[in-house]
Amino acid sequence: MAFTPLMQDLLAALRCLPGVGPKSSQRMAFHLLERNREGAQRIITSLAAALERIGLCSRCRMFTETQLCTICGDSRRDAGVVCVVETPADVVAIEESGVYRGRYFVLMGRLSPLDGIGPEQLGVPVLESQMADGVTREIILATSATVEGEATSGYLASLAREHRVRATRIAHGVPMGGELEYVDAGTLSHAITARTPMLAD
Amino acid sequence: MSGSTSSADHEDSYVLHAWPYQETSQILEALGAQHGRVGLVARGARRPTSRWRSVLQPFLPLRLSWVGRGALYTLRSAEPASFAPALTGLALMGGFYLNELILNFVRRGDPHPGLFIAYSQALADLRAGGDTEPALRRFEFQLLAEVGYGLNLDHDVLNDVPLDPAAVYEYRLEQGPVPAAAGGGGLTFTGSELLAIGRGEFSSPVILRLSKRLFRAVLAHYLDGRTLKTREVMASMRR
Ligand SMILES: [Zn+2]
Repeated sequence: MAFTPLMQDLLAALRCLPGVGPKSSQRMAFHLLERNREGAQRIITSLAAALERIGLCSRCRMFTETQLCTICGDSRRDAGVVCVVETPADVVAIEESGVYRGRYFVLMGRLSPLDGIGPEQLGVPVLESQMADGVTREIILATSATVEGEATSGYLASLAREHRVRATRIAHGVPMGGELEYVDAGTLSHAITARTPMLAD
Repeated sequence: MSGSTSSADHEDSYVLHAWPYQETSQILEALGAQHGRVGLVARGARRPTSRWRSVLQPFLPLRLSWVGRGALYTLRSAEPASFAPALTGLALMGGFYLNELILNFVRRGDPHPGLFIAYSQALADLRAGGDTEPALRRFEFQLLAEVGYGLNLDHDVLNDVPLDPAAVYEYRLEQGPVPAAAGGGGLTFTGSELLAIGRGEFSSPVILRLSKRLFRAVLAHYLDGRTLKTREVMASMRR
């Protein structure tokens, strides 16, 4: 059916969200207009405030409206260890594992020479100044297990070496509880190439 | 590029580059042994559970099957063709450079079996370690020949006679060597240098350096103002 111009605008705007197509944009719009105009007002207010005030942490490039994010501002975290990830979602995933007590650095992407994405676009100069600050002892390279993710960690590891900072790469391979026959060939070949020695008691 | 139909069954291929497409898919640029460069849609390849995620990576020897018509075909199957150790460091950057060259010089739909062999060899050379430059020069040389921009490195095009090893020539783009005017600048080489470049003697440091100068000028000419992003990124990595 033909919607009015304002309605069409609203539907088109909602479709910029991931996973939202014509059907769900219509469901959302009807819901907000019909039953939850208050909720719609809240979205407007908080989205406007977020857009206006949320930027990147000056230290780790995580989203924050303060100069330092909550992790960088937490004095109980180990400031000497920096885990380098590609996206804010990676920070959330590692935090949920509960095992990590260091800080992060969010690249907001990965080296992709064919797309013209190099060190500058990933904030590498900021990370490099932290490697040189005398506090950072180790960087943990937690970029994705893709060719570009490997290019990114290889490059950062070489910078770390220049600054005499220890660089480690997270292990990739067989998932916990995983049986070998169900692991795909690519993962398995990586797991075999990057095998680690086992120490006898 | 038009409405041609295509199908391939377990064709030896490499992924050159991938872009996200829609919510969960990818568009791939691939190089097939028989079909040359093809554009493929890999439906669902970005789903967390997709078995294609670990397979559809650049530089891995793959067997791909696809069907379709138009500019983009639909990927049907993808599996590793053989085991290949991952490229790292400078060799990996060299690999990205090869891929960008192919994307700039090879059109979709033109078969280039010779290029596929040259590319496989270049990757093998990069994997072997050591200086990456000879592998890159050899590939540039073969790529230019394969796409119809082959260099003339054996005769003087002005007088139509074989090159004199002792003489000095100016290499004119799109033509070839002509006797150099006295004191002339530009792309000048001795006859013996041009002959050595033509024989692919890239293990000689001098020939390697001269061939880089010559090929760079030729590539830049045909790129016609387009820049190679991998080169810029590599420069910013070296600082
Ligand atoms: Zn922070």
